[in-house]
Amino acid sequence: MSAALILFAYAGLLAFAAPGLLSRGGWTARAPRLGIIAWQMAAFSLLVSAALIGFALVVPTVQVSADLANLFRACVMALRDQYATPGGAAAAAVGAVLALAVLARAAWCVTVSLAGALHGRARHRDVLTLVGVPAAHLGAVVVDSDEPAVHCLPGRRRRIVVTTGALRLLDDRQLAAALAHERAHLDQRHDLVLAWSGGLARAFPRVRLFTRAHAETVRLVELLADDVAARSADRLTLAEALLTLAGSRTPAAALGAGGSTAAERVRRLITPYPPLGHLRTALTSTGVAALLALPLLGLATPMAAAAHLHYCPPGTVAAAPTAR
Amino acid sequence: MPHFGDLEAAIMNAVWATNGPVCVRDVLEQLDREPEPAYTTVQTVMDILYRKGWMTRVKRGRINFYEATASREDYVAGLMNEALAVADDRTAMLVKFVEGMEPGEGAALRQLLNTAKTEESAR
Repeated sequence: MSAALILFAYAGLLAFAAPGLLSRGGWTARAPRLGIIAWQMAAFSLLVSAALIGFALVVPTVQVSADLANLFRACVMALRDQYATPGGAAAAAVGAVLALAVLARAAWCVTVSLAGALHGRARHRDVLTLVGVPAAHLGAVVVDSDEPAVHCLPGRRRRIVVTTGALRLLDDRQLAAALAHERAHLDQRHDLVLAWSGGLARAFPRVRLFTRAHAETVRLVELLADDVAARSADRLTLAEALLTLAGSRTPAAALGAGGSTAAERVRRLITPYPPLGHLRTALTSTGVAALLALPLLGLATPMAAAAHLHYCPPGTVAAAPTAR
Repeated sequence: MPHFGDLEAAIMNAVWATNGPVCVRDVLEQLDREPEPAYTTVQTVMDILYRKGWMTRVKRGRINFYEATASREDYVAGLMNEALAVADDRTAMLVKFVEGMEPGEGAALRQLLNTAKTEESAR
């Protein structure tokens, strides 16, 4: 029960404080990869602790034993103990429902998100094979449309799509920069992390940590792909390609306080942000690792303490350590 | 279903190029491919395209006549709709190079970029 309370406090703190902490100071724009990992880990940690709260209620902490048979017997004893009281049984029922509901909902929404993406991509690719013209020297498929656009289809049969409108507006170096950006998305499989965080955000739309984690990931994968593209292309050339293609459209989505992501990207390419220092990188990485370790620790500590409790009648499990 | 990606595209283009219904022989004459595909191959691929919903089929006498269900432009427009959609659930399906920005933002950034470029070339 105490494990469940500790986990509950941790989950509450995480859901409440993590979004603010992670957005503070805009450090993620200086280290987009670490930023993505931090947001994903915070979201994952919350999901795991929510599920663990359930498990902590179902399974009473038992003596941890190296001997499987003893562990099993200990579990049975402890379970029988807990379920003998009406309160314990009710808590266990609530816990089981909570753990299963959280995990099932997350798994379902992520699966739907992935399957939807796969299906949509397959259809898009089918049409593309019939109306697009492969341009081997670009490593892309050209579509005859005045709308200037560049996009890519991730997956095993990946494609980069360029419209004739985009070819008209961009010069060779700008086009190469744009293609390098798309290749970075494809090589690093940003679509997978987006499908995962998008699925979580859709599973629990009321949980701000999940929706913010998705929105930030959408933004940060763009910054990350820009950084990768800037290794092979000139930053200002990439900025110009962005401006040229974005300038012709207005975003339909509501903008955040800092303006559109496109504008932030251009600004960031013109005046490069200094990368995060060693100390801050190390501190943030430690924080990220802690996000993963804490929920498990929250469960493990009372488990370790329980090793000294006698759940079972003497002669069964309590005697096991001395026998070993 | 066997995969004829290349030939499918060539056949669709031939069908789009002609107005009105075509039979397999018409398409075969229009196809400019080396080596020339067999009549039965073209027939098979056209049936696949029919089953995929790309073409309609009408029997006149003993010959099947095919017609594209939608124009090439319609399909391109569909692709571009998907490519330019801002809907959130598209993020995992396609990854766009860039979303749009406000006209005001664009003008200010263009100015910033030009200044940076002049500075760079001065160096």
